[in-house]
Amino acid sequence: MRIEDETMSRMTRERFEALADAWGGDLRRWPEAERGPAERLRAADPALAGVLESADALDALLHAAPRPVVSAALRDRVLAAAPKPRRGGFARWAVGRNLGWSLGAGWAATACAGVAAGVLLTHYITADARADAVLYQAGLSPVDDTEVLG
Amino acid sequence: MTADPDEDLVRRVGRGEPAAVQALVARKLPRMLSLARRMLGDEAEAEDVAQEAMLRAWRQAPKWKPGQAKFDTWLHRVGLNLCYDRLRRRREIATAAPPEQADEGPGPDRGLLAADTAVRVEAALAALPERQREALVLCHYQELSNIEAAALMSVSVEALESLLSRGRRALRAALADLAPGAGGR
Repeated sequence: MRIEDETMSRMTRERFEALADAWGGDLRRWPEAERGPAERLRAADPALAGVLESADALDALLHAAPRPVVSAALRDRVLAAAPKPRRGGFARWAVGRNLGWSLGAGWAATACAGVAAGVLLTHYITADARADAVLYQAGLSPVDDTEVLG
Repeated sequence: MTADPDEDLVRRVGRGEPAAVQALVARKLPRMLSLARRMLGDEAEAEDVAQEAMLRAWRQAPKWKPGQAKFDTWLHRVGLNLCYDRLRRRREIATAAPPEQADEGPGPDRGLLAADTAVRVEAALAALPERQREALVLCHYQELSNIEAAALMSVSVEALESLLSRGRRALRAALADLAPGAGGR
């Protein structure tokens, strides 16, 4: 037996009235599994329309309760505390294109080049001094090159 | 569980997308205000609760895991807990210092003086026992399904239906002079 058939077999006038009592006169608000069987019972028993009308009247009163309106101040306070974009537009664009890695690699390459240039420059600056020392030492017979150059 | 209609929006809020933030505020802030206003019957307190519920939503959005619960149901849980806290505090204060004159709601004479139906309905709703009011607010005003409302209230669907019936019967009795047709069976 299908679930709805089973529900239909339990859908009596008493059950219909109990549902209207709890959920009101609009069948769309009733529990999903019981809507279909209730619709069929209503179609078969026109007297049930009165049950729904009575429930409708109370629904209408409930709808008359004031509907709270969000003030601009409340809305502003809530928006002020809302999450902000995690990154700026450029940073998001850059990350999207792995630009961060590229920039990092660029900085690393520049640093390496700087170190290499420093080593070479030191070599060239001291080369003249060392050559002078070798020439000076060459004029001094008892002194060995290794003592000058280390 | 059916698909969560808020899933995509919450994911975008978690990334801080301004348009998604605006959309979630438009969609959920009135619902939270409505829930709190009807549960507490006090405008200022309702604003505080709605604001706090939304702030918690902002904190939750970046770590929201779809598939566990609907976001709307989770938000209602947050809002309800905040309301429970305030109702509990009220009870403690009332026990410590009972008011000299209890408001018994609109009586026959006072009913004649109350021209505004909306005010009468709100007063009748506020006079309901807490659990009956909660059931009506969740099912009628917030339009949650019976399963969602029962889960939020930690009761069975049958118990929820019983709370709804008793709540509606009490309202019918309190508002009988406004709508004789709602007198029921």
